[in-house]
Amino acid sequence: MHAPISLAKVDVDASHRYGPLLVHDGLKFSVAANEFICICGPSGCGKTTLLDMLAGILVPSSGHVLIDGTQANPKEHSISFVFQEPSTFPWLTVSENVATGLNIKGAPADQVRSKVANIIDIVGLKGFEDYYPHQISGGMKQRVAIARAFATEADLILMDEPFVSLDQPTREHMQREVLDIWRHMKRTVIFVTHNLEEAVYLADRVIILSAKPARIVAELPISLQHPRDPLSVEFTEIRSKCVQWLHAAH
Amino acid sequence: MAATTKEDAGRSNMPVAVGAGIRIVAWNILSLVIALGIWQLASRAVGSPFFPAPMQIVDAFIQLATRGDTTGHSLWEHSWASIERVLVGFGLGVVFAVPLGLLMGLYPKLYAGTRAVIEPFRFIPPIAWIPLAIIFFSGLTRFAFLIFLGAFFPIFTSTLVGVARVEPIHRKVGIVHGAGKLWILRKVVIPTVMPDIMAGMRVGLGTAWLTIVAAELAGGISTGLGRMMTNYAELLMVPHVIVGMLLIGLIGFLMNEVLLLIERRLFRWRWQVSL
Repeated sequence: MHAPISLAKVDVDASHRYGPLLVHDGLKFSVAANEFICICGPSGCGKTTLLDMLAGILVPSSGHVLIDGTQANPKEHSISFVFQEPSTFPWLTVSENVATGLNIKGAPADQVRSKVANIIDIVGLKGFEDYYPHQISGGMKQRVAIARAFATEADLILMDEPFVSLDQPTREHMQREVLDIWRHMKRTVIFVTHNLEEAVYLADRVIILSAKPARIVAELPISLQHPRDPLSVEFTEIRSKCVQWLHAAH
Repeated sequence: MAATTKEDAGRSNMPVAVGAGIRIVAWNILSLVIALGIWQLASRAVGSPFFPAPMQIVDAFIQLATRGDTTGHSLWEHSWASIERVLVGFGLGVVFAVPLGLLMGLYPKLYAGTRAVIEPFRFIPPIAWIPLAIIFFSGLTRFAFLIFLGAFFPIFTSTLVGVARVEPIHRKVGIVHGAGKLWILRKVVIPTVMPDIMAGMRVGLGTAWLTIVAAELAGGISTGLGRMMTNYAELLMVPHVIVGMLLIGLIGFLMNEVLLLIERRLFRWRWQVSL
């Protein structure tokens, strides 16, 4: 393992205009290295646009998005992305799909093999390495996409409502798994969701955005110990506070 | 394996059961025998020397295969001459049509701006090029040129259409992980378009055979199955003409089978839809 101590401190200070439409109005926040952030907001508030800016594939029309002090750029920074919609390549097997990010980064073959085997084990796809995506369920496909993102051991992992298409038990299972992987690997995670319970369950800090043009309505650090119990008094208190903010945001 | 995935496992790429395979072969043999039987009966009913029975075709085949034709060329020389022309022309078609189709698919403006030049050629049948080809070229070049024209457009058009099928999300997966244009071309665009390229190749191969026979019938050469058929037609030796026809059918069929085999190997990832 050659990976140095991962950094990936993120600084955002940006506005974005899409034609005449102001999408983001002076978003300003920082994410510490190894922090798990959830970003919530009403639908259509430009969460996906924000993730594109964080990934460096969209340049804000004014301001900047910095990773470790330099302009976000997928070719220079070590970034991974889990998409909301199905994103596995149908012509690759499960293990080939998981290896995609590593192959782009030019990792040596033996390293790719061991990392892929390891992450496939963690996400519970052992035995399905040689299956094609059309042969496995939707939930399993999303696990492949998550494994692909974590396999690169990227410093910054961006997740765009990754569990939206999963049923409740699978979703809960995947939430626990992602927390587990994150605790193992200690990466910076920015996780977008419109599910507040999910946000409070996962995050070190929840950022709530307003409707378009998006501004930050509230930032709430959550110091509850993992694993968190969604039925506990503290949890429900934090959640209802978030709900109030989100309603105010509309 | 988890219990929930049993159904998934059932969908794996199992080939058709062996028993079913044998049954399919048996059905094909049966339909072949029936077709030959009808032919035999029809020939006997008509009773004309110009309507030979299957056995006369076999005799003609043996004669052509062992002793060659009236001009001293063997059946294999004729067959190989045709196959060589098809392979060269078809190969050229693939070599030009695929990159051009990809290029124009990836840069739609390039296609939109040159359509008026490219598209009308699609409607000039390769056969209509024969007179010019006879004036401009000779030998293998002439046939390769004509077959190239026949094979090019089906492959070009389906490649062009295939590029539009590339999923933006697949491209984005590459980009967010830091991939460059070349990676996206090799690992996203080409795998997506491959099924369309192969489909275009199968259509193109059909056109190639159509063209070769027409070109050979037009004359000016001494070998080729089309040439052999014309020679025998002038002698009114129908069984020998039919041998040429059947060989063209058989060779085309076998080439198509080879392409299908490649497709099956290449596209194991595709799901099979049945009604």
